[in-house]
Formats: sequence, C-alpha cells, structure tokens
Amino acid sequence: MTFRVNFLIQCISSVSWSAMNYGFFEIVFSYTGSIGADSGWGKYEYFVFLATTWLINSLIQTFCMPNAQEFSELIRTGNLDFALLKPIDTQFLISFQKVEWSSLTNGFMGLGVLIYSLSQLASRSPTPLVLSPLTIVLYIFYLGCGAAILYSVMISLAATSIWLGRNQSLYNFWFYITNFSRYPMEIYARSWGLPLFVLFTFVIPVLVVVNVPARLLADPLQSQDTWKWPLAGFALFATGMSLFVSRLIFKAALRSYRSASS
Amino acid sequence: MSVIEIEALEKSYRVYQKKEGLWASVRGLFHREYRDVRAVRGIDLQVEAGEFVAFLGPNGAGKTTTLKLLSGVINPTSGKARVLGFVPWNRDNDYRRRFALVMGQKNQLWWDLPAQESFRLHQQIYRIETKQFQDTLDELTDLLAVRDLLGQPVRELSLGERMKMELCAALLHSPEVLFLDEPTIGLDVVAQHNIQRFLRYYQEERKTTILLTSHYMKDIAALCKRVVIMADGEIKYDDSLAGIVDRFSSHKIVTVLLNDGTQAEKLRDYGEVLSVEAPRVRLRIERERISATLSLILDRFLLDDVAVEDPPLEDVIADFFTQVSNKGSDDASDPFPTEVQA
Amino acid sequence: MERLLYSRALRWWTILRIALEERMVYRGDFALGTLMRFLPIITQIFLWWTIFETIGAEQETEHPEIEGFSFHDMVAYYLLTMLSRAFSSMPGLASGIALQIRNGEIKKFIIQPVDLVGFLLLNRIAHKIAYYSVAFGPFLIVFTLCWWGGYFDSVSLPWTTWMAFLASLIMGFLIGFFLETAIGMIGFWFLEVSSLLFVYMLLSFFLSGHMFPLTMLPDNEIIGRLSYRTIVDMLPLKYLAYFPAAICLETVKGDDLIRGLWIEAGWLVFFMVMCRAMYAAGLRRYSGYGG
Repeated sequence: MTFRVNFLIQCISSVSWSAMNYGFFEIVFSYTGSIGADSGWGKYEYFVFLATTWLINSLIQTFCMPNAQEFSELIRTGNLDFALLKPIDTQFLISFQKVEWSSLTNGFMGLGVLIYSLSQLASRSPTPLVLSPLTIVLYIFYLGCGAAILYSVMISLAATSIWLGRNQSLYNFWFYITNFSRYPMEIYARSWGLPLFVLFTFVIPVLVVVNVPARLLADPLQSQDTWKWPLAGFALFATGMSLFVSRLIFKAALRSYRSASS
Repeated sequence: MSVIEIEALEKSYRVYQKKEGLWASVRGLFHREYRDVRAVRGIDLQVEAGEFVAFLGPNGAGKTTTLKLLSGVINPTSGKARVLGFVPWNRDNDYRRRFALVMGQKNQLWWDLPAQESFRLHQQIYRIETKQFQDTLDELTDLLAVRDLLGQPVRELSLGERMKMELCAALLHSPEVLFLDEPTIGLDVVAQHNIQRFLRYYQEERKTTILLTSHYMKDIAALCKRVVIMADGEIKYDDSLAGIVDRFSSHKIVTVLLNDGTQAEKLRDYGEVLSVEAPRVRLRIERERISATLSLILDRFLLDDVAVEDPPLEDVIADFFTQVSNKGSDDASDPFPTEVQA
Repeated sequence: MERLLYSRALRWWTILRIALEERMVYRGDFALGTLMRFLPIITQIFLWWTIFETIGAEQETEHPEIEGFSFHDMVAYYLLTMLSRAFSSMPGLASGIALQIRNGEIKKFIIQPVDLVGFLLLNRIAHKIAYYSVAFGPFLIVFTLCWWGGYFDSVSLPWTTWMAFLASLIMGFLIGFFLETAIGMIGFWFLEVSSLLFVYMLLSFFLSGHMFPLTMLPDNEIIGRLSYRTIVDMLPLKYLAYFPAAICLETVKGDDLIRGLWIEAGWLVFFMVMCRAMYAAGLRRYSGYGG
C-alpha cells in the first residue's frame, strides 16, 4: 500500500518536474524563434533535444542512481565488505542491484514529447525532416552511449566517497556537472565559455551525451554535416574512455577502502 | 606449504584529529593534524590446513583488521600474505570462491527478504550447482536447526537465528578457509553453545581451516587448540591453549579446608586471601613460592583438605590484557602526529 | 529579568556555536558545496546569452530586451535570486519537524518549558549565520566579478531601495520559515509529508521566480481577467526569490514597491498566525492521542 502510494507520488513528481521544464521553454520560445541565430535549434528541434535529455536521465535514474546511492551507503556502513568477498566483479555487482522503476515515467514523457516534436518537424518548412531506419538505430545506440558516459561519471563520483568519508555534496556535484549537458553544446563555444566547452567535451565528456543523439535525430542544420559525423565518432571514443577511466577510479578507490566497523 | 602464510604484514590508518571547539574547527578548514594508527604492526603467522586457530586480544588489538586483510577487504600498507597460494587483496575470483568471512557485527543477508532468497543469489554468484546447493543447504539447515525459518524475512529472526543464517550463507560454497569475526557476539548462552557445537562438528567433518576471533573464552576453550594473542597490532603469543596459563599466570589458587575454622584469619600471612567461608579459605600464591608456602601451612595448621589449581583462564587473559593495554596507553601518549598542510 | 535575558543569550550562543561546528567538520563537503552552488548559473548565463543574441539578430537591435530585461539584467537577476534563496530556503526544516512528530521527539517540547517555534527559529537563524559566514566569500567573489563585468550596470541602489531590498530579504526569510514550519506541522495529521514537501519545492522553484523572471509569464487572460502572470503575482511564493531581486533591479519601484512590501508583511503575519494555530491544534490532537 505505502509502496504503491510512494510509487505514484514519485511518478507524479518526476512528471511535474519535466512539465515545468517544458513550460519554461514554451515561455522562452514565445520570445525567440530559436536558440542561437541560424543554429537550427528551433522550437521543435529543441524539444527533440529536451526529450532526449529526459530519456537519458530516466535511464540513469532508473538503473544507476539507486545503485550509486546504495554504494555510498555501503561505504559509509562498512557493508561493502561483503560485496568485496563475492567471486564476481565488484563494480558489476554494485552497479546492478537495484532498479527504481518510478523514474521511467520521465522516459515516457520524453517519448511523448519526442514523437510529437518529430511529427511537427516532418512538416518543417524549407527542409522537412525525414527519418531513415538507420537514423533511428543510431539514435538508440547513442542514447546508450550517453547513458554509459553518465554512468561512468556517477560511479566515479560515488567511488570518491571512499576517500571523502561522508559525501553529501555528491549528488549536488552530479547535478551541477550534468547540468551542462542539458543545452546545445555550441552555446558554450564563445569567449570565456571555451574552456568549459573543452573541459566538458574532452575531459568529462558530458556535452556529447545528449548533443550527439539529439543532433542525429533532429538534424537541426544541414550545414553542420561537416562536423556531425566526426562528433559522432568522437562520442564513441569518449564512451569507451569514460568507461575505462571510471573503472580505473573505481579500482583505485577500492584500494583505499577502510571498512568501517559497525 | 601452509594454507595461510603471513610475513611482516602491516596496516596503518591515517586518522584526522578533530579538536574540540569552534576555532579548532575553523582552523581545520585550512590545515589538519593527522595521526597514523598502526592497526597491525608487521605480524608473521603460518597456519596449516585443517587448523582451528583462535585470535584473542583486547579491543583494537588488530584481530579484525588481520581477518579483513586476509579476506582482501582492505589493502595492507606493507608486507606479504598468501592464503591458498593467493594474494588476498588481488581479489581473485578463484580465491574468493574458496573462502568465506563471517562477521558477527555485520550482516550480509537481505534484511527484508527471507534468507532463502539471499541463499539463491549466493548460489548464482558462487556458481554452485543446483544439486550440490540443495544438499549443502539441507545439511547446514539441519545441523543448525533453522530449516523452518528459511521462508521468514530476515528482519523477523532473532539475533541467534540470524547468525545461524549468516553461517549458512557463508558455508554454502563449502569454503576451504573460513574467517569468523566474533560470530557469537551479543548471543545468549544457549545460542552461543549451539554455534560452538556446530562449528566443532563442521570443522571435524570437513577439516576446514578456520580463524576465529572472539571475546568469549568459552568459544575458544571449546573449539581451538591453537591460540594467537594479539595486542597493539602485534602477536604476543602463539601456542597451545594450555600453555597460556603457564606463560602468563604468575600465581596459583590454593583452597584449604581448615580443621579449626577459627584460625582462618591467620592464613593472611601466607598469601593473598581471595575468600573466607570458614572453614574454607581460598588463597592466591605466587607460583615460585608455592611448594615452600604449602609446606609451611601444612606444618602449622591442621587441614582436612587441600587443592591447588590454576587460576581461571579468563582471569589470566584479562590480567594479561590489562598489562598490555596499560603499556598500550603509554604508547598512545607517544603518537605520531604528522602535520599535513591541506 | 536580567538573568533570564542572560541565560537566553547564552543558550542562543550555544546553539549558534554547535551549529557552526557541525558545519565545519566535513570540510571537503562544505567548501565544495558552497562553490558548486554557482555552477548552474553558468549554464543559465550561456543559455540566455545565446537567446538574447538570437533575439537581437531577429529584431536587428543592438540591445535586445525581454520584458525590460537586458542580458546583463538577466544575469544580475539570477545572482540576486540566488541571494534571496539563500535567505528564504529552509533545507530540512519541514521534514525535520515531521520526523520529530513521527518518532515522538516532539514530546520534549510539551514537557520542557521551551517553545517549539521559537526554538526552531533560533536554530534556523544560527544555521543561516553559520552558512553566510562561510558563503560570504564565494558570494562576494562572484558578485564582484559580475560587477566588474558590467552585469550590475542597471543596479544603482539609492538608500531607500537598499532598505527595501534588505526588508524584503528579511521578510522573505521569515515567510520561508513560517511557511515551511506550517508544512512540517501537517505531520500532526498525516504521517507522510515528504511528498507534499516535494510538490511545494517544485512549485516554489517555478513560481518563486527562481527559474526565470516572473514577468516573462504569458499575459493573455485565461480565467476571467486573470492571466498566468496576475495569478502568480497574487501568490506568496514570489517573495521567496523574485521580489527582492525585482526591487534591486528596480523592476518594482515607487508605489508598487510600497504596496508590495505591505502585502509581503501581510503574508508574513498570515503565515505566523497559521503556524501558531496549527501548532496549538496539532498539540491538542497529539496529546489527545496520548502521545
């Protein structure tokens, strides 16, 4: 009973969160035609972007977030001991223990907005959007890549609680970093934004997380073709590197594990 | 080759010294004092297959840290150790399939689920064949008399029952080496006794190599022939249980039954009187002087009966612990505060 | 009387000191947390930068504006709402009260001669001071940088505006406190208030003006003569973030400002009374159940 009520409340709250985001951009687009002059991110292109953000976030919140939280808790209580004893990869074990189904609602919202926006784009005036099966397959593939990059960031952050002891600001930190992934990446590519652009593209590649799949699908501007594919290639590389580096961090953190006694 | 080989194993922690007071907290933002706590100070130990070894020692002696090092939960600062030929902190899956660690203070079973469910997960993780899993589970639950409780959520079990389930979980994959960290802590006498009996039976049957830490002498007296005493992160004694008294007890207890009970008070000249229940008197007498004193007493008093015994093991060990921990606190006043610039 | 005052002051000081110490223990978290709080503004700045540039290109003007806000005003607005949120947000207050009710700790306020609301208010003030004493540094750095960057160009602050700004911040703090305490007191009637609290947080994020200037809300009439903008304008939530910032940027001035401050004071009294009434009713209910 309480579980079901809780579930419902969580669904409602995540939906209303998304709705507010949507409302904010409805307001923004009542003042401007696009985000960035000639960038191609018009209202519906941008809503494809927004829906992609929600899809990836819901994947993370359903499958990764509860486990990262649990991991921090295991470190704090010293119960990570048992995970370390099991003859199975520790990172694997702690990454897939829990699932928070209620967070999937956000994903459904995203799907709805995505389909609606794509149908609007199908009648885009100069160049109507035409989706090929390949585009859809690539989109889904890059959604997975994006989720993998965010998973790597999250597991690395969670692993740092081994060094820092308590780690309250972990989720704030997570929120602040992923915050950058929520807007088209070119908005940072100006004056003092360039270092941020470079940092969040090449060092902590959160900018490619949403940008690559959303760009592939919404295809905001034909002229971007020159760097669309190199970017997609880079995203693949970034995914691999993120997984690799987060694993190194995870392993290094385990070496410093102290095993708190209860 | 020994099952467990430890050489100069050392583990130290760095602890932040928080000071009382507001100003100290503010200062702590910029610059902190650390202290190195040497939990294990270069110990050497060899354990042969099938041995049942007890670790004794006061709190903070380094027993649990040693077990955690041997099970690969934590990495050492320096030194070597091999268990079954593996370096524990490499956390080899092949190694992890061959040992188990049970901690009386922590539980690994899922709190809200029946133990059975946790066991099944275990089966998957340790890749135990279904037939073997079922046989082992049946045997263990029969021995521990918990078969009926398998379907109950773990949170509804008593502490003793929960401990039995933890043991089951740990033994499902038939480990060759078993580390037990205070498995009977907080249990009542009956539950303690049950677990002791089970462990003795299991060890005799399977010849599992077991390392046990405990605060209860009864556990140790019932189970282990070999005792390792740790204090201040060092091994102070490593030999048979019986040897402890010879080594650490400087006194014997003499009980005399006086023919004339009114003379009881006069015995005070011969040793420390522990109790007088006239005509019975208990005396504590130094070991070297025992025969001389006894003959003096026999000379001067008329006795109905006399008995000479070793003091209870618990007292001996408690005495020993107090000695080392007094020394230990001297040590602590000479810490290693290393100032570290943040 | 004097001794009473002295012992009160002493108690206040003790609460303050302990709260401060508590906050200093986890150094890493603390320093990181305070600085990180400014990060979301950066992404917001770039978003608005791009949007204003786009509007400039579309309308072919050098100085594009949205409802009287230039790009620099927009940045200043976000920084100022951060400041007002630093006053009006009450992390852990309502959930803490609900928890105390649930686990029975609230009994000590029935038994001991301590007033719950007064105690909580003191505690909160201590927490806030502890927070400002450390957050002051980062705030000063960011505000100075933005001042030099010209983002505060349209902020002149004559002393009357300055006083109004200060008054709105302090009243914002009190409204936030009494409002959240009242929500926490709902715990006397319902066991579960965390979901309610979440709804409140969402609403206040959107409707307090933390997310965007409330004047951007659409002005077309939806119910009778009411529009989204007029409805939100009537709610008390805007005093938590929008109103102080609007005073500072002189979006609200003259008679509107005076009227706004009076209405804010009205809301403050309303929530104070509501808080008291709920506490009294809640205690009656609680002791009626026999604890």
